[in-house]
Amino acid sequence: MNGERIKAVISKEWMDMGENKLVLMMMALLPILLVGMILGTVYFMERAPEADFEPGTGSSGIALPEAMSHLDYKTGTIVLLNDQYMFYLLMIPMALPIYIAAYSIIGEKETRSLEPLLATPISTAELLVGKVTAAVVPAVILAWLSFLVTAAGMYVLASPVVFAYLVRPVWTLSMAVHAPLFALLSTSSGVIASSRMNDPRAAQQVSALFIVPVIAASMAVIMGRLYLSLDIMLWATAAMVLINVGVLWLAVRLFQREMILTRWK
Amino acid sequence: MIRTENLTKRFGDNLAVDDLTLEVAQGEVFGFLGPNGAGKTTTMRMLSALISPTSGAAWVNGHQVGVDDAAIRADIGLLTETPGLYPRLNAEQNLGFYARLHGVEDIPRQVHIYLTLLGLWERRHEPVGGFSKGMQQKLAIARALLHEPPVLFLDEPTSALDPEAARVVRDFIETLRGEGRTIFICTHNLNEADRLCDRVAVIRQRLIRVDTPEELRRGLYGQSVMIHLEEASPSLGTLVEDLPFVRTVTETPEGLRVALDDPETNNPALVRVLVGAGAGIRFVERESHSLEQVYFDLMRESEVAA
Repeated sequence: MNGERIKAVISKEWMDMGENKLVLMMMALLPILLVGMILGTVYFMERAPEADFEPGTGSSGIALPEAMSHLDYKTGTIVLLNDQYMFYLLMIPMALPIYIAAYSIIGEKETRSLEPLLATPISTAELLVGKVTAAVVPAVILAWLSFLVTAAGMYVLASPVVFAYLVRPVWTLSMAVHAPLFALLSTSSGVIASSRMNDPRAAQQVSALFIVPVIAASMAVIMGRLYLSLDIMLWATAAMVLINVGVLWLAVRLFQREMILTRWK
Repeated sequence: MIRTENLTKRFGDNLAVDDLTLEVAQGEVFGFLGPNGAGKTTTMRMLSALISPTSGAAWVNGHQVGVDDAAIRADIGLLTETPGLYPRLNAEQNLGFYARLHGVEDIPRQVHIYLTLLGLWERRHEPVGGFSKGMQQKLAIARALLHEPPVLFLDEPTSALDPEAARVVRDFIETLRGEGRTIFICTHNLNEADRLCDRVAVIRQRLIRVDTPEELRRGLYGQSVMIHLEEASPSLGTLVEDLPFVRTVTETPEGLRVALDDPETNNPALVRVLVGAGAGIRFVERESHSLEQVYFDLMRESEVAA
């Protein structure tokens, strides 16, 4: 592995990304919308009368899990809703690399730049590490920034209990560890899809499939079927690491110069 | 510098290159001619260590394909049929990226040298997506040369260019000739091959013929002269045909087309015989066959043989 060549790929990708208004817009739009939605919802819920949250009389109809029984119903509902929203923030590192990878890997096909690139001394591993890093890092930074802005907003807009629940280890660990793992999974699957498919949109859709389990988990949380304990998050981390190793291994194996050069027409 | 031995490439049932054996010397400009699908690009990709041969072997600058692929890619410059540049990046950024991949030591200097040489220095800060095809092709040539490779592979270097841009690119390739680099050109442009190449190979999956353009002509047609006569006469053709150094005689409305072993030696005797027989000779001109004619005749021969 030659670090200089990997750095060259990363800086080229970021220069290219910087000139691509569509990618920049998509990268900015998703975090802004999500953070705005979360903070806006909490702002209005915090200011709603207690009576609106009373079970049976209010409109929320959410059943609090056992672990939150010590909270009043209004606070519990906001905490539960925040837990669901945190899943949405975790979608940032899944969704953004899809856009970035589409231009980073499949874009090489469209500009027909892959052949001269592969005719340099760069190895397949160096090329993929550079491309994947270039897609993962901005997505993870944006996810972390979104979480920090959300936490800061909660500190100002929500009650101390709601804020404390937001920054509990379950979510700080998840943001620190799951965000990079999700981003890596999304990018690796994008590499696999672009190695096997000729249509960039189809490749993007395959990557998007990984969002489905995250949405399912968020629905289970809001329906009170799943309470996110530290144990569950650690098990999820172990599973994610295993899945990532498998998908990354597959991505490197499938990214074969010869097949890509002769199939990408 | 480049050597192949029984090089063969199959894609499933499709035989792309069949049993190709050839050698290209250091400093030689070598043309690779053949119709679409003849295996030119596949051969170039094998020699660039981009795809592996199904059987046979090849060496580039002493490194064997499939064994020292990284060393081969460090020693070659490749110009693909389409420039393959990054359209949102400017000329300087495009070249800078490739210079880093090749580990070029003084990147700003090399980039400056080649952008200046190809007349692109003034536009170095512009995104290359806005460049004309000719400018993009010149930039792609600069990219192939940045790391000063001893071997250069050029795939259809002028195919997508207008005549003016094609001429600029051809002139530039000609200037490279004196630098001792080995240049391997795939082209459909037979005039280009005739002008640039020391030797050419004609292929259609298999190697049909390899030689200098001049030797290919001589091998196919010998060397012929056109004798323009005041008055054509069938008896003159018969008379000339009997001469020992004459290969063939064709009568035309203007006179006689005579294929000879060596026109420089044979012409005086030929003219003496004709004058002695009472022929009125207006003038004698040496005939030349275009490489295009050679190519089409070789292709026809290969079709008949197949």
